[in-house]
Amino acid sequence: MTDAPPANAIPRETPAWRRGAATGDAVPRIEMVRVTQPDLQRRGALEKTRGRLVYAAFGFGLLFLAVIAKLADATILQPLAPHRPEKSIEALFTAPKQSNSTMAAAQRAMITDRNGQILAISLPTVAVFADPRQIIDPADAAHRLKQVLPRLNEDEARTRLSDTNRQFVYLERQITPREQLAINNLGIPGIDFRPTEQRHYPMGRTASQVLGGTDVDEHGVAGVEKYFDRRLFDDNTPLRLSLDVRVQAVVRDELSKAIDFFQAIGGCGIVMDVRTGEVLAMVSLPDYDANDYRKAIDDQKFNRAVTGMYEPGSTFKLQTASMALDSGIVHIWDKFDAAHDIHIGRFTISDFEGKHRILYLPEVLAYSSNLGAARIAETVGGERQRAWLRSMGMFARVGIELPEAGLPIIQPASAWKEIVTMTVAFGHGISVSPLHVVRGTAAVATGVLQRPTIVALPPGDRPPAGAPVMEPAVADTMRRLMRLVVTDGFGKQAEVAGYYPGGKTGTAEKVGKHGYKRGFKENFNVAAFTSVFPMNGPRYAVYMMVDEPHGNKSTYGYSTAGWVAAPAAGRVIARVAPMLGMLPDTQDAPQINQALYIPLQPARPPAAPRGPVTAGSPPAPAPRPALTLPVSPLAPARPIARDPRHEAASSPAPAAAAPSLAAR
Amino acid sequence: MPTLSRADNSILGRWWWTVDRWTLGAIGVLIGFGYIMMLAASPAVAERIGSSRDIFILKQVFFLAAAGGVVVAVSLLSPRSIRRVAIIGCIIALALTVATMFIGVEIKGARRWIALPGLSVQPSEFLKPCFAVVAAWLISEGRRTPRFPGKLLAIGVFLAIALLLKSQPDVGMLAVISAVFFAQLYIDGLNLFLVAMLLITAAFGGVGAYMFFPHVQRRVEAFLHPGNGIGTDYQPRTALEAFGNGGLLGRGPGEGHVKDVLPDAHADFVFAVAGEEFGMIVCLIIIAVFGFIVLRGLLRLLKEQDLFVVLSCTGLVAGFGLQAFINMASSLQLIPTKGMTLPLISYGGSSALAVAIGMGMLLALTRRRHHADAA
Repeated sequence: MTDAPPANAIPRETPAWRRGAATGDAVPRIEMVRVTQPDLQRRGALEKTRGRLVYAAFGFGLLFLAVIAKLADATILQPLAPHRPEKSIEALFTAPKQSNSTMAAAQRAMITDRNGQILAISLPTVAVFADPRQIIDPADAAHRLKQVLPRLNEDEARTRLSDTNRQFVYLERQITPREQLAINNLGIPGIDFRPTEQRHYPMGRTASQVLGGTDVDEHGVAGVEKYFDRRLFDDNTPLRLSLDVRVQAVVRDELSKAIDFFQAIGGCGIVMDVRTGEVLAMVSLPDYDANDYRKAIDDQKFNRAVTGMYEPGSTFKLQTASMALDSGIVHIWDKFDAAHDIHIGRFTISDFEGKHRILYLPEVLAYSSNLGAARIAETVGGERQRAWLRSMGMFARVGIELPEAGLPIIQPASAWKEIVTMTVAFGHGISVSPLHVVRGTAAVATGVLQRPTIVALPPGDRPPAGAPVMEPAVADTMRRLMRLVVTDGFGKQAEVAGYYPGGKTGTAEKVGKHGYKRGFKENFNVAAFTSVFPMNGPRYAVYMMVDEPHGNKSTYGYSTAGWVAAPAAGRVIARVAPMLGMLPDTQDAPQINQALYIPLQPARPPAAPRGPVTAGSPPAPAPRPALTLPVSPLAPARPIARDPRHEAASSPAPAAAAPSLAAR
Repeated sequence: MPTLSRADNSILGRWWWTVDRWTLGAIGVLIGFGYIMMLAASPAVAERIGSSRDIFILKQVFFLAAAGGVVVAVSLLSPRSIRRVAIIGCIIALALTVATMFIGVEIKGARRWIALPGLSVQPSEFLKPCFAVVAAWLISEGRRTPRFPGKLLAIGVFLAIALLLKSQPDVGMLAVISAVFFAQLYIDGLNLFLVAMLLITAAFGGVGAYMFFPHVQRRVEAFLHPGNGIGTDYQPRTALEAFGNGGLLGRGPGEGHVKDVLPDAHADFVFAVAGEEFGMIVCLIIIAVFGFIVLRGLLRLLKEQDLFVVLSCTGLVAGFGLQAFINMASSLQLIPTKGMTLPLISYGGSSALAVAIGMGMLLALTRRRHHADAA
């Protein structure tokens, strides 16, 4: 307190009363006040100053109140979402578009098999990271983390935590909530968590090449994940594949056994619904765990079923035979010279274990005669052959929804000389993927070409119509011929009682960089068996291929398809068919076999022309010569059991088949 | 603190019973917050400066202690001594500010600092309190002594300082010193018409700064159109996120992230660090302490007789309060980003000592005294 009286010393006591004056004119009792002029001015100025001080204080009060209001707004009323520094650091390294799409989509859609079994799923998880600059004792922190996170590499973690030049290091990309709690309880400063998502493949190696895989940011890098990358991001509903994990497992099992047994380097197996083109199983060995895509080697990632281009070998004789029959130039009773090797230029075509005689057309298939097939193709001609193969889809990608699907290796039209026509007739001088062969085989058995698909047909949808590629009568004959290969030809080991499979073996030498790949003692083969069952009502195509098999004692040293692939295909059919709801029909075997019968040496009907129509003559339009055998009058023996009770009552079904039926 | 008898007639005894102990206590609280925030900001800053954390902490401990000592030491002086100190200080600071043009260290495109061993000094920081006292003296002397052109001299000194600061350039300091001088003229009883004119001039000055200084332009743009540019918008946005992250009670000491990403977290954005780690309540306490010092300082002047004391205290308090307001408001994006330290709380020796001198002067001038003691 200043000791001086206030400058504007208004007296507080009652004014002195002056005689004769009004009360309002009262003056202060202190009358002897001498106030100098400058003093008065100063007092007046100070008075003004005081007023303005109050205004100034008021102004400052307003400023601080504004700060308080803004502070309340920023902290509790409208707090901005906490922005972690690591995000901005990461943003420096990832393309903005990628990070946007990662942020936008809540969760990548599931991938399931046709029965809803989960093949790929995105799980929310947590990554643990550290800011090394905040770590006080890296060694101690790493040691304590190791206690609660046993899979942590302590040495590596210590190195990372010691790197104080960085502000962000990952310690573990995914941890469980329990581990997160434990780490949090350690209370190590500088350790933090961020939510991430992890693509998980619960079935591991199942269909790994089909599924492909994703990178760290959940972007598809192969297989279905890549092909449907956008769809899986945009649409959260599960993507239902046509695969059936049960069938997939059986095919992988049998293929794996065959590969082990014949010490092969790999193989592939396909099961396809011939009516819809849906692929139920697609196996390529060796394969990988889809959870570890980044660790997989190229040979494991290689999908032999669609990327591998192999000479189809003798399986192509089905194409040659159906082409010839459908053209009308060649008849089922025609005979072809397989007694003499064919020499064209420096090439020689000969038969493996040939009969060295004239062969009827069915015999050409049953005994897999290269010479016979070459003669048939020679009769039909190269131009027709090309047109046929093109119509069977052999000249283009197979059309399945996999980015890995490759282009066949085809001779150009200019180089399609007579020798090419002859070799392609038995599947050499052309390379197509196994799936091409499967589709071609299915088309031969049904007469209709379907586009293979890996996506399940939506329930209730009509199967796609497909493209008719041959007369139904020709397809009927081809079914008999395919069945003949199994009953009387090289494919005997594929026979499964009650399921009437038909097919064709194919052993092709592998093409390397410098022509055919030949070893010191034996050639390197690809042994394949392509089949469809049941032949009295085709439902499924089964294809098994073993890459570079080696014969052993049990096969008398043979490594050909009849010994290697056919038995595997038979076992697949035997195990898969019941799963797919088909019961073996052994009761009606005589009738069915009779209906599918075709003689190895069919007799020529009396009115029919002698020998094939020569290539030069017109291509014999209608009327087509009647077949010696009527079109099979029988309905499919027992394709699908619509009524389990009826099935159980009417046929002595194996007990094993019943549960799978009930399960379906 | 040892109790001092009212009868104690020593210098310290007289000081203790005459000084404004409430304001002194508030300054002590601010220094305490300075220690806490130094601990919070030290890891990030030590890494940025490149020296070890211990040296960094020791330096700031020393400077804050020194600041406390300076406050007490300066407040022991009589108003007359304060005037002398201010005049000498103003001359030295002006000379050093001129010197920065020639021997200054260039940091971020501006020459404001003079490097001394262990400390880089920003002379204009010291200019602020000294000029406030000098201008108050000139104005009050002009009133007291006829024919002494005090106001004109004050305006002349102010223009010289303004020219210097503009050429550094240090627009922020220029704005604060201008505002302080304006406040003094206003309190002195400047004609309201002139007040209005000066306000308009200030507005034009702001527009001029916007037009002629690119970095001012960028910051204003960032303030008016948040989210427009990534670079300039980044700092205030991150600071706001820090406040949001802190919420009411804060994330806890050491749990803040803003100090890792903002280059000036220890100085210009120390309030955001406080908001993130200690929450809204502690921020409110800090604001309250500043508000207390400013309002108490101004309102106590109502009883003051001496125009010199009134004007110089107004200048000192206004400079102090404006600096705190600008720092906190730009952290909160209430105004465009302006680099300015939060008195005694931000890291930095030069700034703390300058503020301490100003506060010491304030305490010295507001000590209770006999009327005749005034200058």
